[in-house]
Amino acid sequence: MKEVVKTGGKLAVICAVAAIALGVVNAVTEPKIAAARAARLEEALSELSVGLNIGQYVESDNQNGINGYYPLSDAGNVDAYIVDVTGAGYAGDLGLLTTISLEGEVLAAALMEDSETPGLGKEAENASYMKMYIGTGKDSVIPSSKSHLNPADADAITGASITFVGIGKALNEAADFVGQIGGM
Amino acid sequence: MLKEFTKGLIKENPVFIIVLGLCPALGVSTKVINSLGMGAGVIFVLLGSNIFVSLLKDFIPDKVRIPAYIVIIASFVTIVEMVMEAFIPALYDSLGVFVPLIVVNCIILGRAEAFANKNTIKASILDALGMGIGFTLALILIALIREVFGLGTITLFPIGSFSGVIEIPGLVDSPVRVFGLAAGALLVMGFLKALFTWIEDIRRVK
Repeated sequence: MKEVVKTGGKLAVICAVAAIALGVVNAVTEPKIAAARAARLEEALSELSVGLNIGQYVESDNQNGINGYYPLSDAGNVDAYIVDVTGAGYAGDLGLLTTISLEGEVLAAALMEDSETPGLGKEAENASYMKMYIGTGKDSVIPSSKSHLNPADADAITGASITFVGIGKALNEAADFVGQIGGM
Repeated sequence: MLKEFTKGLIKENPVFIIVLGLCPALGVSTKVINSLGMGAGVIFVLLGSNIFVSLLKDFIPDKVRIPAYIVIIASFVTIVEMVMEAFIPALYDSLGVFVPLIVVNCIILGRAEAFANKNTIKASILDALGMGIGFTLALILIALIREVFGLGTITLFPIGSFSGVIEIPGLVDSPVRVFGLAAGALLVMGFLKALFTWIEDIRRVK
């Protein structure tokens, strides 16, 4: 019994010291991490606003991955929405912000959070990756299958098809959502 | 004492000879910059865990040594993760899920169990540096081949006006994409493993 308490006590001491060390490092890094995330969100919203005024964030009921939205207006009229949507990626959730016009057209999109494979699915973080979705949704389908892409784009997503499909489906959900809350 | 450092570079290279840590080695080696970042993280964690395991080898009861090592290693990895996200966010975003996965990198637990808990702090530091640098060099070699052929580029850290990306004429426009994929990683690893085994065989015969 004494041996068990001694052994457990020593392990508890190691855990306690580790917890204190982590607490100290967290106290130092947490404000910087929070500030960097806020700056990244602000920068992304600025790019996604497509020159319109950004309204207050409205939380959604979280159905179909829709977390909430920002209305985008010009002279008091809502012209588009930035939709905060979560899709399913290869290695976890894909946190996306996408600007959808009232006609359901994808005007802009950015991948904000993901755990995709570096060099493959993670390439979706690059602004150039989203070009294959932008402009779709009004007169053409938002691509969520390789068959919707031209051969060059289909070749570019080789090795990361699950990420591509996950983003495509999330953007389709966002476009449907905009149709429900005030789109045409 | 110096052999504790040099053995990890080629003779007991953790990736090509001992064949440890292959998941992150193959996962992040799509770009040279990812290999440098992962290598730096592994060196730091390996150094920290080896020092503390060696320091506490008489304090840690034998029955709970593995949980104790895991607490030490996980703490260092979490510190690396938090510091990287706070001060090098671009690298943190680039390495993604592979940073927390350093916890289960066999090299780190392997060196704690096989070396640090039996040797002095000085020898453990040299072992950690040798193994860590050997792991990093292996990752860089795999990434260099995969990125040059698979993407036609060499991606390093941006410095001043240098964007960090070197484009290889002829390959950047028509890369051999399989090198960037999982199959390419296994192929490159297989050929490099054969090369290192051959080099070791020659050294042994001499």
